Amino acid sequence: MVSRRPMAFALTGIAAATLLASCGDSAGDEAVETAEVEEAGEPDAIAQRQELLEGMGDAFTVIREQLEGDGDIEAITAAANTINANAALFIDHFPEGTSMSSGADTEALDTIWEDPEGFAAAHQRLLDESAKMVEAVGTGDLEVIGAQVMPLGMSCGNCHDTFRYDDEA
Amino acid sequence: MSEESTQASSPVQVRIWDLPVRICHWGFVLLLPVLWWTAENSEMRWHMRAGTLLLALVLFRILWGFVGSSTARFSGFVRGPLAVIAYLRTIGKGGDKTLGHNPAGGWSVMVLLLLMAAQTFSGLFAGDPFDGATGPLNEELGIGFSADMTDWHEFAFNLILGFVALHLAAITFYRLVLKDRLITPMITGTRERGEIAGEMAPVPAWRALVCAVLAGGVALWAYYGAPGLF
Repeated sequence: MVSRRPMAFALTGIAAATLLASCGDSAGDEAVETAEVEEAGEPDAIAQRQELLEGMGDAFTVIREQLEGDGDIEAITAAANTINANAALFIDHFPEGTSMSSGADTEALDTIWEDPEGFAAAHQRLLDESAKMVEAVGTGDLEVIGAQVMPLGMSCGNCHDTFRYDDEA
Repeated sequence: MSEESTQASSPVQVRIWDLPVRICHWGFVLLLPVLWWTAENSEMRWHMRAGTLLLALVLFRILWGFVGSSTARFSGFVRGPLAVIAYLRTIGKGGDKTLGHNPAGGWSVMVLLLLMAAQTFSGLFAGDPFDGATGPLNEELGIGFSADMTDWHEFAFNLILGFVALHLAAITFYRLVLKDRLITPMITGTRERGEIAGEMAPVPAWRALVCAVLAGGVALWAYYGAPGLF
């Protein structure tokens, strides 16, 4: 679900090479142009918020994985703290003009800027559930932690449903 | 698979690729960019549909590697390392002509098929239910397994790209240096006889139909969550 621009470059290159190999046609110029537009339309804010959000996703996976298997409370604690810390930070990286419709390589929908109260409320829900997860982890009780997985996950999904482009199947 | 009529044209033509092999090959060529594009642009419904089609084609090609015509069969082109080295040594002298895959190309086929098989398999389990789309079998073998499959799915695409690039480089090398056109035969199924000995041994078309039903059936079954297994 994460963009890999090096792959994009490589694949356009290969697509161009295929055309060259098969019919001797030159598709190289067009491929280069597309790549440059993508590069220019992608401010740093997108990379920063994506890194923070991906960190949360990975940490949440760690929690669920640990609950399924070893139940290593230290790993769970570290992961819950990562989620809690990143949740407070990523929200500062949504400047105007960094939505999907700007052409940048992001899934952030215009609704983020059209409905700032809704976005803030969805973010608050995440902060609340994330704080509850840190509390649950503090008890050291795997069942208490397990019970907080779904509410926390729903607070992620809740925001994705409304504010992120998501062609779920 | 009825190219008999085309053999009337002046230079003697010899059949080398049957229709199923060509359909698989060009299907891969079409589907790989589609799968890349749909993933990059978050069109995951289409990504999964195209992925299911790729899974069906890969499964078909594997079955065809056992029961297809002589040039399609793994037993006909998978050779040991000594045969590969011996073949590579002939390249300096213009390349030893083979009816079908040469010993080096045979391994290119195997690696690409294996990578695409691994890619479609990992795709069935990839994703995160709280974070966008998930493969149809995502929740069946545990969070840890799904997370590993997701990582592999993202990483292995680069391997596929690398081997596709090598494949294209080899085709270009054969065209420019060895003056051997490989693309046209993959479209028409025939090439000039030249110094190539032997014939492709075809098999009846019904075998392809059976393989297609089996491969398509398994792919659709996986797409719908592998009922009965999970």
